[in-house]
Amino acid sequence: MNRRFLIGLLLVWSLGPLLWQVYTSFCSDQALIQPFVSHDQRWTLIHYQNVLNANPPFWRYLVNSLIVGVSSTFLCLLLALPAAYALNRIPRQLSTLSRLALVGAALFPYVLLFLALLELARALNLGNQLLALSLPYAALSQPLAILLLNNAFNDLPPELEDAAKLEGLSLFQRFRWILIPLISPATASTAILVFLFSWNEYPIALTWISDSSKLTLPVAMARIAGSSIYSVPYGAYAAATVLGSIPLVLLVLIFQKPIVSGLTSGAVKG
Amino acid sequence: MIVLLLLPALLLLLVVFVVPLFRYAWLSFHADSVITGLIAIPNGGANWLRLFQDQRYWQDLGQTLRFAGVSVGLELILALCIALLLDQRWRGRDVVRTLALIPWALPTTVMALGWRWIFNTPYGPVDHFTKIAGIGSLNILGDPNFAWIATVWADVWKTTPFAALILLAGLQTIPADLYEALLLEGGNALICLRRITLPLLRPYILLALLFRIAQSFGVFDLIQVLTGGGPASTTESIALYAYWNALRFLDFGYSSTIIMASFVLISLICVIAWIVLQVLIPSHPKSRGVI
Repeated sequence: MNRRFLIGLLLVWSLGPLLWQVYTSFCSDQALIQPFVSHDQRWTLIHYQNVLNANPPFWRYLVNSLIVGVSSTFLCLLLALPAAYALNRIPRQLSTLSRLALVGAALFPYVLLFLALLELARALNLGNQLLALSLPYAALSQPLAILLLNNAFNDLPPELEDAAKLEGLSLFQRFRWILIPLISPATASTAILVFLFSWNEYPIALTWISDSSKLTLPVAMARIAGSSIYSVPYGAYAAATVLGSIPLVLLVLIFQKPIVSGLTSGAVKG
Repeated sequence: MIVLLLLPALLLLLVVFVVPLFRYAWLSFHADSVITGLIAIPNGGANWLRLFQDQRYWQDLGQTLRFAGVSVGLELILALCIALLLDQRWRGRDVVRTLALIPWALPTTVMALGWRWIFNTPYGPVDHFTKIAGIGSLNILGDPNFAWIATVWADVWKTTPFAALILLAGLQTIPADLYEALLLEGGNALICLRRITLPLLRPYILLALLFRIAQSFGVFDLIQVLTGGGPASTTESIALYAYWNALRFLDFGYSSTIIMASFVLISLICVIAWIVLQVLIPSHPKSRGVI
């Protein structure tokens, strides 16, 4: 069949719904209700003004998600890097077994953990604190992160570290000056995947955060959906959707390579 | 020293993955709700007995299985087609590959809201289309016959890129000379697909399949925002029901029971899917294990 047609179909399928949101977000309420009638004032920026001037303003959620995303990524890597390294230094059977357990944990639908995690948040008084969210996020992305980084350590030639040992470098020095720089591509892939997960995570943020100025983007979007302050609120919804999508679209466009290599190397050797 | 490096990650994993399992198992044999003042009181197997008699639970289980089965099936077929397309050489392929990944990267709740507008009656584009096509207004999100299809549709849109990427990674490991040899022997594209592509892709299909089955069985974000489980809880999933029980009815004991049952079911389904896949797709001498 015609390849061009199929490619076009794929693009329409992938981007159509998003482009429809862009279109909707610039339409006035009147034009949304009667799409085929010509209006004098078809195009408007009012929805963006409404969303950006709401209380709290929309950019607040973007900042919140950014804070959570960055802190989770940092914490996750801090714990996963040493663990991924150590996984190669324990008895072979034990490490195979741990890798299998990690695959199981990575496949697991973490949504079901929400109740136990909510109890944990209550017991430790972690509710309504943005930075506290990085604890469950770092933990939930740990399996994937350890597997990806462990693959990267595996690919390094063992002679390299032996030579460094002979030079008298301590474990920390080897880590800092030799191992970490060498696996930096895998670390970058892992970091972006963890960031994406933390930015997009919904059920835990939903149950841990209730203060409206501390909501992350996904929870704020769901909350916008639940309220109906506007007569036909979809213009505002669409504006929020577009604003909420822009950072991620940019992220994918810029970091396409590490994202793809992270996902696929996880699949190939995971 | 090595233990010290492993310990922090291990501790965190235990707290987040293992402790909850034991906590759920324990809670599922306790009454823990507003009635007991949120204090856990042993109640024998009362929660489990209630689960087996709970019509809404069985209805939700059926709906969740329908959702997971249909959407994972569609996803894998679509993903294979997309992966085959993206595996060929053509100009602009890398750009298309990046753009096709965008649905996967967006937060589920963000696009669930988008889909709610697209399926909106009477102002959404789908409704306009059906009216123009002469089918009339379908009231998609308000009709139990269509609402679940809308949830499947939105899920397939969102998660197919991920499966396609995994399969694409698998396709790129297949050496081209295998195909050439078979074509020389008089094979056609269909025979190639059956004798080379699918068998060598099997480990990747397995990975995508297990991951997607587990995730779609736990579907939550999408349904909560797109339909809220409605109309008349005909799109409600198990995870959403467990969530209502915990946060709306404040019945932690029963919610834990639902979650515990889901653990068991998901593990079972994954094992069955594994076996079915081994039977369906023939093995290939050059195929290797992924997991």
